[in-house]
Amino acid sequence: MQRSGEEQVQPQRFTFARAILPARIKSFPVFRVTAVWEAFRVAMASLRANKLRTALTLTGIVVGVSAVIAVVTIIDGLDKTVAQTFSSQGSTVFTISKNPQIITSREDFIKFNRRKDVTHEDAEAITRLCTSCWRTGIAANAIETVKYGNQKAENVRIRGIDPITMFDIDGVDIDVGRIWTESEGDSGREICVIGPDMLKNLFQDAPADQAVGKEIRIDGRPYVVLGVLEPLGSIFGFSRDNVVYIPYSTYQKVYGARRSLIVFIQVQEAEQLEEAEDQVRTIMRNRRGHTTDNPDDEDFSLETQDVFLNLYDSATSNIYLVTWVVAGVSLFVGAIVVMNIMLVSVTERTKEIGIRKAIGARRKDIMTQFLIEAVTVTAIGGVIGVGTGFGLAYVISALIGFPLLISVMSAVLGVTVSSLFGIGAGLWPAWRAARLDPIEALRAE
Amino acid sequence: MSDATLTLSPAENAIQPQTQVNGHDPSVLISMRNIWKTYQMGTESVHALHGVSFDIPRGEYIAIIGPSGSGKSTLMNLIGCLDTPTQGEYWLNGKNVSEMDDDELARIRNQEVGFVFQTFNLLARATALHNVELPLIYGGIGSAQRHEMAKKALTAVELGDRMMHRPNELSGGQRQRVAIARALVNRPSILLADEPTGALDSHTSMEIMDLFERLHSEGNTIIVVTHEHDIAARAHRVISIRDGQIEKDERIR
Repeated sequence: MQRSGEEQVQPQRFTFARAILPARIKSFPVFRVTAVWEAFRVAMASLRANKLRTALTLTGIVVGVSAVIAVVTIIDGLDKTVAQTFSSQGSTVFTISKNPQIITSREDFIKFNRRKDVTHEDAEAITRLCTSCWRTGIAANAIETVKYGNQKAENVRIRGIDPITMFDIDGVDIDVGRIWTESEGDSGREICVIGPDMLKNLFQDAPADQAVGKEIRIDGRPYVVLGVLEPLGSIFGFSRDNVVYIPYSTYQKVYGARRSLIVFIQVQEAEQLEEAEDQVRTIMRNRRGHTTDNPDDEDFSLETQDVFLNLYDSATSNIYLVTWVVAGVSLFVGAIVVMNIMLVSVTERTKEIGIRKAIGARRKDIMTQFLIEAVTVTAIGGVIGVGTGFGLAYVISALIGFPLLISVMSAVLGVTVSSLFGIGAGLWPAWRAARLDPIEALRAE
Repeated sequence: MSDATLTLSPAENAIQPQTQVNGHDPSVLISMRNIWKTYQMGTESVHALHGVSFDIPRGEYIAIIGPSGSGKSTLMNLIGCLDTPTQGEYWLNGKNVSEMDDDELARIRNQEVGFVFQTFNLLARATALHNVELPLIYGGIGSAQRHEMAKKALTAVELGDRMMHRPNELSGGQRQRVAIARALVNRPSILLADEPTGALDSHTSMEIMDLFERLHSEGNTIIVVTHEHDIAARAHRVISIRDGQIEKDERIR
């Protein structure tokens, strides 16, 4: 392409700022330190001078911000707790069972109950044939009353497992004592490993080593305690430590072989999960002589722990949304309070604005002054609000019983958002102040 | 100048001849040419000023006198760049002020005009020093230099020992002297006083007028707007306004 010489002689310097900023904005007073510092000084002096007004404004913002912070923190804490709980087995574990872990309708319940039981043989076939699987185990659960002397623990989950790697697949660790050996596990003897809740409920909080070797009774049968597990904590008030592990051979002896069990399959890397699932699905279909492409017609349930997370998400997302809206509205109301007070402040200080304009304050100087005042009060309110919000979250988390997660992110966010609300709320009053006619303003009393 | 620290003389460059602008005589500081100011009252147009013209040279001490409703307040607002004329041209220190927008006027007020008001118009919550610093703040002057200049200005009006006092801790005369220090701290082209003694007793009034005389002798251009003849009589030239027009423009000294 040919260019004329003239064009080349006049190189057009094009900068982004030049392209989008009109000339007047380039000298925005943010860059004029003296005026901004003066604005800040004036803002602080004015906030100090009108203590009641400042307190009211602060209250408005503090309530809003602490509501938001508390909501964020609580939701965060619950989410993380739930996620941690269900992923303690990790995203490397999936299960094969007769019934899915969550049944939402009676029809489904009937349908699932018509399925064949998942048996020890199924588990063995999977262990033998699935090449992508790392380790497998079986588990079956019963709910029983457990006794020691005259102490009693009710609704205890009795979990029969085999082999002992199921402890690892379950993500539980031994705290004191030991787990049973392989041969003990196959022997059908009455031995057990207890969850830490048993210490509390049966042994009156005695040290764990005092429980080891003692004989507890499950549904009247004596079991020797070999070891005590490390605590996992509770979720929504349901303890995950209210459990007694026994060997599956023993479980079978007591509860019968014809109970459906759950096969646990773990892969080594999360990336192998899908492949392992496909293999296991094929193995199970072949064993049932039942092929279908419709997962609803399957004769067994293949599930990862995500089902709980999904259920949790769908159950809570609406509640969270409503909570969010309520918290947001209270912050919005706080912003309205700030705007109101700022309008009063502008009216009260018309004379002062007149004086400042007479001696050379430009519109942006006045604008900055009132914006900084609004931002200062909302930022302070934000800081206090973050504090009270965390406090509130702490109290609520202590009451409900989940660990509190203080995130720096939400603290920063809280202060930033409230400051932005300050700018938003201060804009209109500041604009009114900046536009005052100096002659009129000087006449004001 | 040996006593520079104790005087409030206009900036050196203000006295030096300026380059010719639009054929203006550089010794003329203010040039009003056929100034009209019209207010719209409903459907009616009220002419507060009609066709006012005059020149004020540098270093003059001038009084603008007139009864209330004569248009002298309107004229003062125009001279002080608080307002622009509906029609006509106003040249201040070589700049055509009549066409300027809000922010440009603010700049001119900051750099060229020092106001002294009847009711002082000090910031009640600020110290004398901070009040005097205020024009420098909006002029973008750094704090060290600002302090220095404000202290000098307060010393020059004999308030060196009252710098940290707030207005309510000062007498009327002292307050007005703070206001004068504030008006002069930026070394403006004109000192514009609106009824500067209106709120003061006669003894204090004389003190303030003496101060004006001293400031004038130091080279400041002073314009006093008043309705009191004995105040006007201290000036060297008196412009009388009546019904929005110049009734008389006479040199009395």
